[in-house]
Amino acid sequence: MPRDHPRLSRYATYIVALAAGALLWQAVASQTNPAFLASFTATMGAIYDFIITGTLFRVLSSSLLVFFTGLGAAIVFGIGVGLLLARVRLLRVGLESYIMVVYATPMVALIPFIMSMMGFGFAPKALVVFLFAFFSILYNTIEGARSLKPEMLEVARSFRSGEWGVWRDVLIPYTLPYAMTGVRQGIGRGLVGLIAGEFFLSGTGIGLLIMQSERDFNVPALYGSILIITILGVLLMSIGRILENRFAAWRGLNR
Amino acid sequence: MSAPELSLAPARARGWRAWIGADAAARIAAGVAIFLVWEVSVRLWAPAFVARPSRIIAVMPATLADPALWHAAGATLGAVLQGLAIAIVLGTTIGLAIGRVPVMERFLQLYVSGLFAMPMVAILPLLTIYFGYTGQARLATVVFAAVFAIIINVSDGARAVPPEYTEVSRSFRGSGWSRLFDVVLPSSVPYLLAGLKLAAGRALIGAVIAEFYASIPGLGFYILYNTRTFKHSEAFVAVAMLAISGVLLELLLSKGTKKLLPWYRRDEARD
Repeated sequence: MPRDHPRLSRYATYIVALAAGALLWQAVASQTNPAFLASFTATMGAIYDFIITGTLFRVLSSSLLVFFTGLGAAIVFGIGVGLLLARVRLLRVGLESYIMVVYATPMVALIPFIMSMMGFGFAPKALVVFLFAFFSILYNTIEGARSLKPEMLEVARSFRSGEWGVWRDVLIPYTLPYAMTGVRQGIGRGLVGLIAGEFFLSGTGIGLLIMQSERDFNVPALYGSILIITILGVLLMSIGRILENRFAAWRGLNR
Repeated sequence: MSAPELSLAPARARGWRAWIGADAAARIAAGVAIFLVWEVSVRLWAPAFVARPSRIIAVMPATLADPALWHAAGATLGAVLQGLAIAIVLGTTIGLAIGRVPVMERFLQLYVSGLFAMPMVAILPLLTIYFGYTGQARLATVVFAAVFAIIINVSDGARAVPPEYTEVSRSFRGSGWSRLFDVVLPSSVPYLLAGLKLAAGRALIGAVIAEFYASIPGLGFYILYNTRTFKHSEAFVAVAMLAISGVLLELLLSKGTKKLLPWYRRDEARD
């Protein structure tokens, strides 16, 4: 491996891997029933159509609005409640095991309840994204809080730090890196929630595009829309990873 | 790893003893408070059909006696376990290949991390085209949901094998297969278990989502059917079963890791 341009060589590898994948895809598709597998060129054609007709922009803006509303609320409440539990030990001890149980519960199971209580529209979908993401963030924030050594609080106290000082200088800086791990997980889970909400609550956005393509037996559009959500997933996950690494460096951990 | 802590505080009790210990009162009080808030707020603000603890407890005996619920649970959990078994075999094989064979890594890494980042629900319409609206579509969803978490973690594990180990094996003239099965595979097992913990949660979600989408009989469909007929409390019993399964899988795997590999401490899977 050439040591002088590791980054360049990595990108070259990616490009070669992508090109090889596209070729393989095209070759396999030419031997397969097009009702099951759209070829690479047909899929790209479908994506091109999505772009020039403005469908892509419309669909993505509708989906991302739902996603970021839900995720934003999950970040605010997840970190907020997490920090509160970090400070009030009794509350944390009391609620911890329940939060663990809810964290392990597949949140999808709640979608039918949300549907029959809140019906269709924007709010129930944002709520689904929120529920999917919230408990990851909360769980990780609490995890961080649990590893906060009591000595640190004692030192702050013995230097006559006030309540606000404890939060600003000890609690928040110490817990935030853990919370960021939760945010990254929450992005991944929230994206599942977004598509699940768009499938099962009311069809909008990228979820509707996927479902519609299936119903119309438009296989290239189906592959195209799934490819779009995959790219979106990769982008959002890398944002999450960048955030996490930034804060992990602050924590002094390089993972 | 940080240095061992020097503290005059008594060591914290672990496991069940901690539960019964001093914090139990706080836990029980919090539990009672959660149920009270739930009960009261549903009574005050929600329509009568919405699930609340007293109704759930009232319908619990009849619902648990209903064989349909147990059939549903068997179908869903059966598919999850079967899918996880397939994902373990498939994921370990591909993961070892990626971790040990540079060409494989270069070509597959991109695709594996791409598919891992993709929300698995999105693949459902495609899987129903391949497998129809059948239990096979659910099994495929479970495998798809689980396999990438295992691949990524196993390949991390295979990469992290200390080179001294493989060198020792080489200098004792161990064959390539022996190196794979006696050195690389065993030292990747903790990573496999960490990935499996992650995969189990995703598999459960995958099974439920597939049941919703393709109306396949199982716990997810049981929930969907009962909420549509406004039997929320009955449906909630099934949600509780899912929650218990999720927690049991999680506990089983973390206890299993401690029991099987007491020397190993890997705190977090790559997810």
